[in-house]
Amino acid sequence: MQHVFASNDGPIEVALEKDGEAYTLEGNSLTKHSHGRLRLLLRDGRTCLAHVAKVDDTWWIHLNGRTFRWERVEPGSSSASDEGGLVAPMPGKVLEVHVKEGDVVEAGEPLMVLEAMKMEHRIVASEAGKVTAVHFGVGEQVAQGATLLEIEEAS
Amino acid sequence: MANRGEIACRILRACKEAGHPTVAICAPNDEGSLFTELADEVVLLSGETITETYLNQQQILAAASKTGATAVHPGFGFLSERADFATAVSEAGLVWIGPSASAIEKMGDKMTARQTMRAAGVPVIPGEEVDGDGEGALATLRQAAERVGYPLLLKASSGGGGKGMRAVHEPDEFDQAAAGARREAIAAFGDGRIYIERLLSGSKHVEIQVLADQHGRTIHLGERECSVQRRHQKVFEEAPGPTMTPELREAMGQAAVAAAQAVDYVGAGTVEFLLAPSGEFFFLEMNTRIQVEHPVTELVTGVDIVREQLRIAAGEPMSCGPLMIRGHAIEVRLYAEDAANGFLPSIGPLAVFRPPEGPGIRLDTGVREGDEVTPNYDPMLAKLIVWAPSRKEALEKMRRALDEFVVLGTTTNIEFLRDLCDAVPVVDGSTTTTTIDDLWPSGWNPPRDLMLEEAALLAAASAETMGLHRRNATGDSSGTAQGPPSPFTTLQRRYP
Repeated sequence: MQHVFASNDGPIEVALEKDGEAYTLEGNSLTKHSHGRLRLLLRDGRTCLAHVAKVDDTWWIHLNGRTFRWERVEPGSSSASDEGGLVAPMPGKVLEVHVKEGDVVEAGEPLMVLEAMKMEHRIVASEAGKVTAVHFGVGEQVAQGATLLEIEEAS
Repeated sequence: MANRGEIACRILRACKEAGHPTVAICAPNDEGSLFTELADEVVLLSGETITETYLNQQQILAAASKTGATAVHPGFGFLSERADFATAVSEAGLVWIGPSASAIEKMGDKMTARQTMRAAGVPVIPGEEVDGDGEGALATLRQAAERVGYPLLLKASSGGGGKGMRAVHEPDEFDQAAAGARREAIAAFGDGRIYIERLLSGSKHVEIQVLADQHGRTIHLGERECSVQRRHQKVFEEAPGPTMTPELREAMGQAAVAAAQAVDYVGAGTVEFLLAPSGEFFFLEMNTRIQVEHPVTELVTGVDIVREQLRIAAGEPMSCGPLMIRGHAIEVRLYAEDAANGFLPSIGPLAVFRPPEGPGIRLDTGVREGDEVTPNYDPMLAKLIVWAPSRKEALEKMRRALDEFVVLGTTTNIEFLRDLCDAVPVVDGSTTTTTIDDLWPSGWNPPRDLMLEEAALLAAASAETMGLHRRNATGDSSGTAQGPPSPFTTLQRRYP
């Protein structure tokens, strides 16, 4: 149950976990009640009811008086890559590096995992190609917008 | 009903209650709007722009004649303060639900209004009117500015809504500001006449609701404070004023009644004042129509102002007894706008539109769930009004109501309004006309709550996994048949 959402700071990969009837992410958990009500139990003990609606690709979520928008990035659509460089969506720490220079990757293949905003963000290849540079190793801090690695598109 | 949207709904409902059959007019791009469903008959206008539709006097009078209408209610905005329309309506043998054309004219020209008020003994803001709008008038204005003193405000005589208005803090800014104000006034109103008022900083915007019938009775319904404004547009209004005293209310009320009587006013109107920190108050202008924020007065006085308008226009005496102010009412204006981005108007679908409920909550709106917010009209979606026994409780109720208000699909200013309810000047009642700029000099941004952001991401991912956006298509638990409505909905625009 993985989904990618866009944010101002770049794409965020979300891996939901199932715990009985509940979905969990980062210590928050969600259960569906009758009539589609979504009940959230936050990790600080707060509970709230979420109202959600999807318009085009964007999920609008109302909870606790706040309205949030998360645009879903369709699998296979272009995401992080602008000129072949994959940039850090937000400042964080590199947790995992799955590729090395010279590797050939498929679109959607995980490249790197960052930890930022207390969440893990998977950096995936937006298209097939060859890794031409890897700029960071496990444990290194990255600044927002830093180019993490570079991929030469398969022609 | 020569108007649309929220105010058309308000007035059409009052007509229904009073037993008057109604006719709505509707522009092609407004078909299916809520207000058209509240009227007994709808006349479809032709044309694309508001000039061709809601501002088109010929089309509106033709609709009245075709349907056998006997009276015209102009609402607010559009043609409501156009003396020539009031005259045309009367000449067509219809009742104009509003003041006479001559009262509209005398109050509509701000320089004439100042002169009329001065003659009636109503205090006006220290300043000077300057005749003529030629190039030579600029020199005369500059001399007048020296006498008035800085800082000052340049205002267009035909002005409104902040157009043709400039604040001038130093003499060397004067020429440029005056030329700019004049250009704007000519472009907007075809009238470049400018007058000068001393800029009274730290003042409150306090206005008095008046009612006058055709039996010689003119009364006031107390004050509303509407100091909290952004770009000269009110966003937060309340009654009674948080710093008002019975003595000041009486003095301002009497001044407002004198202002109305000076132009032989008939119907509902509002006299706007600036209340200076010194406690002095000065006439600003009179709005010769029903106002957006009239509900707060209705909630604390128990007077149905629109029903009184209908009574007065029918030649009946108004039904109000002596003024009684009970409890406290607050209104906020919900706009489709991005408060975090310079209050830019936003558009989109109202995929979910779920107003708060409970005792003491009133919603005046012209939209409902499923509607589309377009750039064709004003971005005001609704007015949320609360009443409680005290100001403190009213503010508490407003916070709860805003937290409960769910609008999904279009960006609104709900979170801004909610944040405003916690701002110190709002909490202690010390708001002035510059409060919003003082609080957020470089623009407002929503407070960040990382845990809620993550929870929202969980909700989005879970909803996607569960396929909630497809739910209505399968007819499962759409919530309309039994039980409370479902908290999610969809426009089903696109499926993955």
